Parts: sequence; C-alpha cells; structure tokens
Amino acid sequence: MSRISFWLQRIAQLLIVLLLVTFGVSLLLRLVPVDLATILLPASSEGEREILRAELGFDKGPIGYYLQWLGNFVQGDFGKIYFSGGTEEVSDHLKQAMPRSLLLMVYTQILSLVIAVPLGVLSAYRAGRRADKIISNSLFALSSVPNFAIALLLVIFVGVKFAWLPTLGYVPIAEGYWEHLKHMIMPVISLSLGLIATYTRLLRADMIAALREDYVTMAASKGLSDRRILWRHVLRPSSMTLLTSAALSMGALIGGAIVIESIFATYGIGFEVFAAIGGRQYIALQSTVAVIALFYVFFNLVVDVGSGFVDPRTRDRRVNA
Amino acid sequence: MRKFTKPTWFAIGWLGLMMFFSLFGWLLPFKPWNFVFEDDLEVGLFSSGHLLGTDSNGYDLLSSAVAGTRMSIFIAIAAVGLGGFIGSVLGILAAYLRGKIDTVMVTVFNVGLSVPNLVLALALVSVLATNVDINQAVPTWRRVMVLIISLTIVLIPILGRIARGATLSWSGREFVTAARSMGMKDSKIILRHIVPNVLPALIAVAFLAVGVVIIAEASLSILGVGIPDGASWGGMIARGRNDLEYAPHVLYVPIVFLALTVISTNHLGDVVRSKLDSREAKV
Repeated sequence: MSRISFWLQRIAQLLIVLLLVTFGVSLLLRLVPVDLATILLPASSEGEREILRAELGFDKGPIGYYLQWLGNFVQGDFGKIYFSGGTEEVSDHLKQAMPRSLLLMVYTQILSLVIAVPLGVLSAYRAGRRADKIISNSLFALSSVPNFAIALLLVIFVGVKFAWLPTLGYVPIAEGYWEHLKHMIMPVISLSLGLIATYTRLLRADMIAALREDYVTMAASKGLSDRRILWRHVLRPSSMTLLTSAALSMGALIGGAIVIESIFATYGIGFEVFAAIGGRQYIALQSTVAVIALFYVFFNLVVDVGSGFVDPRTRDRRVNA
Repeated sequence: MRKFTKPTWFAIGWLGLMMFFSLFGWLLPFKPWNFVFEDDLEVGLFSSGHLLGTDSNGYDLLSSAVAGTRMSIFIAIAAVGLGGFIGSVLGILAAYLRGKIDTVMVTVFNVGLSVPNLVLALALVSVLATNVDINQAVPTWRRVMVLIISLTIVLIPILGRIARGATLSWSGREFVTAARSMGMKDSKIILRHIVPNVLPALIAVAFLAVGVVIIAEASLSILGVGIPDGASWGGMIARGRNDLEYAPHVLYVPIVFLALTVISTNHLGDVVRSKLDSREAKV
C-alpha cells in the first residue's frame, strides 16, 4: 500500500471515530428524560424556551440536531453556557481551561519521562538484581495507589502540615513563573507517579528483549562500553512502546485529570466537563467532550507519524489498524 | 501448583478478607457504620472503643470502611463481570468472524476508547441518573445501578479489544484450522478451542479491571456523582476531604483500604499473566 493512501485511510478512520463519538454524545443527551430547554432556562417563559429549542435544534430530531451542532462546532461556535444572569460562550471557557490542561499535561509528561527513562534503563541493565527489584517493586506499589490518594496525601503533608506549597488554584505564567510552578508541582506529581511506573515497566521489558539481540553482543565484543550500548544502541529501538503509550496518555491527560483538577482547583478541561455536568450545561458538555476526543484522535495520529521516525521499519506498515 | 510468594499470599489474603467483609460484614459485631457517636467526635486512630477512630460527624471509621467494602467490591465485581462478559463475546466474535463485523467492532471500541474513562463514566452517570423531576434526589439503589451500567459500558471497549487481540493470535493456529477442516461448527470451535485459550488472558485483565473500577467508582464519588453519604470508600474520602486539615486520619482509613485492594488485584493480575507467559514459553 502506498504511503499516501495509508495516511488517507488512517485519517479517514480517525475522522469516523470523531464523528461517531460526537454523535454518540449527542444521542446520549437526547436520553436525558427531561426537556433540555427547561433545564437550560429554568426561570424563563415557555416562549423563550421555544426560541431556544429552535436556536439549538432540539425540535429537529436526533440527526438534525447533531448536524446543526456539528456545523456550529466546525465553525468554532461551541455553544453557550446558560445561567440565571445570561449566557457565556463555551469557547471562552475552553480558551481559559485549555492552556491549564496543556501545561499540566506537558509538565506531567516531562517529569514522568525524565524519571522513567533512566529508571527503565537501569532496571533493564540490572534485570533480576537488587536494583531492578527495588525499582520494579516500589513502582508497582506506587502505580496501584490512585492519583487522588497521592494528591490528598500531598495536600495533607506538603500543603497543610508543612505549608510548603499552595494547595489551591492556578497562576498563569504571566504572573510569575515561580508562582505558576508552585501551583503546578503537586498536581503534576500526583499525575506523574502512575505514569512513571507504567513507562518504566514498558521500557524495561522492551530493553530486556533488545539486550538479547545479536547486535548487542556484537557491540559488546567490539569493545563498546555498556553505557554507550545502552543509551546509543538499545534505548532507541526499545522506545517504541514507551512513546506510543506516552502519546496516548497525553490524550487521556487532557480531560482525564478531572479529580486532580478539582482537588487542586486547577480548572482545566476535565473540570469543564465536570462543571458542565454539575450545572446541567449539556451543550457545553457535548462540545467539551468533542474537544477532548479531538485531542485524543490528534495524539493517535502523532503516534503513527512518530513511530515512523523512531522506527523507520514501521513507516509503510499498517500500525494497529 | 507452584508455591506462591509472600506478596501473592498477602494479596490473596487481603482480597479474601475484603470478600468476606463484603459478604458477611453485616453479620460481624462491628459498631453500626451509619450511627453518630456524639460523644466521640474526631477520635484518632487506635483509640479505645474506636479502633480506627471516628470522623468529625462521629461516624466510626472501621465500621464505615467495612461497610464501604460491600459497595466498592460489589460495584467492581458486577461491572467487571458484565463488562468482561459482553466485551469478550464481542471481541471474540469480531476476531473470529473478521470481515465487516470486525471492522464495525473495532470502530466501536475505538469510539469508546477515544474519550477518557472518567469523562465517559461521568457523562453516562449524569445522563442516566437524571430524574424526570430534577429537584428530586436519586435514590441510592438507582445510583448504584447507574454506576454499574456506566462502568460496564466504559469497560466493554477496553476488555473487548483485549479479547479480540487474544483471539486473533489463537484463531490462526493449526488446531483451529484443523477443527474447521473437519467440519466443526464455528460456535463449537469458539467454545472448545478459542475460549479456553483466551480465558487466562482475560482473567488476568479482569483483575486489573477490578482495580480500575474501584478507583473509578471512588473518583466519581469524590466528584459527588457516585455513592453518597460515605457508603463506599470513595464516599468516605469525599466526606473526609472536608476535615482534611484537622482530621487527616479520616482520609487515611479509606485510602489504605482502597490502595491495598488495588495493589492486591494488580498483583494477582500480574501473577496470572506471568503464569500465562511461562505456559506460552513452554509451547
């Protein structure tokens, strides 16, 4: 299969997934056993609700409603959030939440990879020995502790008992980078520990397999140092699974960090989902979930492109079709 | 059977204890879990009368944790059982039949996987737990049902994809081809040859899934859409968060129960999987 048609097919697949996700959410909303217009405008007159129904397409049946929403969404109109005093644009909320979620995700990834890669290399190099056992076992235990538990323990100790770090809120970079980081440290640590364990494990397994390859024996018999073999020759071919998992968890971190975002009041995209549900803002919910799925699909594509760079052999092969 | 290591015995023991608590906890002579001990507010850990202390409302934490076991474990087992069953049936059929059915199933799984677990669960819970009269509270039993259904739906694509992958690697084997060439019916091939081979992998994943569901249920409860009134571990954490500054031990108790349970299920999942790998290696 030629490369172009492979990519076209891949992109088409992802677009179909996106359309189905958004359509699914839109259908789900129709299942709410109450009138959506009444929920969005509880204090208004029936006339105003009628106008809203026509405006949002509630009167059109599931497919008509979906197409109208989709048309607006593609043009950047994500709908409105309705409350007693008026309306707010969902896109304004997302504009505020997006950088928070993205930064949280980027910091988490950096911290996780910076810690996991050396640990993975070390535990693969010392596989079965004490260092490996200590690393593997303690990471295993850590990965089983849910991230909200880590977050709450950090709040109790670092935030309250010793009062080293602020426990709530988000400060934009513009208001001082140090302040910004101080507010991010605890959420990032809470999200990272589980990832560190996963990444280390994946890298360790792949590196142990790669260390058995003939070219490693060859490199060793040529007299290359262990360090050079590990970092130059074994790490790169072993990092495929790790990078795939890292890219996919980026999609999951955007929006998936709901509990952490709400514990630390970081208010990213995940919190927007939560707020939309709590406030019964179903249009906002639909658009926000669509944005999250968009990111997921985007990172999926990044995996496909990235895997071609890391391992040229996969460039023409169909990846997880 | 090979002898288990100490951590494995611990995991089995702990999960056994949790199962025992969830089935027979109500028969044991614990203090009533939803009773307010007005004279013992915020008693610390290991105090007389209240082994694990009480929270600021006067609820006994040991009794709450034991009672919470019932809810947390019940939801986890129900969701994993249902989701595992439906997911495996869909995954195995898709991989065995291939063709259009497979394409459709893979797309459905991908759709389910393209929304983070918790977002999907949250959306499902919010829609399913909406009352016709929005001012009326949703009764707890209905919340439990909604949670189980939502988490089941979340699990189906995850487990379905694994079942599909495992089936793909088995359905191409010689004995399947042989059975087919001898005229064995597809349904019989699946039951006789595919299911027994795929099952161990699914059991390993099911252990991990129990941990995932327990955490998801707790997360939803912390967000206030799960089990209310401290009736599950997540519910206890949600309630304890308010006293975090003054009585952190209220949080330690459910967190320790939850963490030990998840560590145990993950560990057992690992043990099953490594047994599986060694069995494969011998072939």
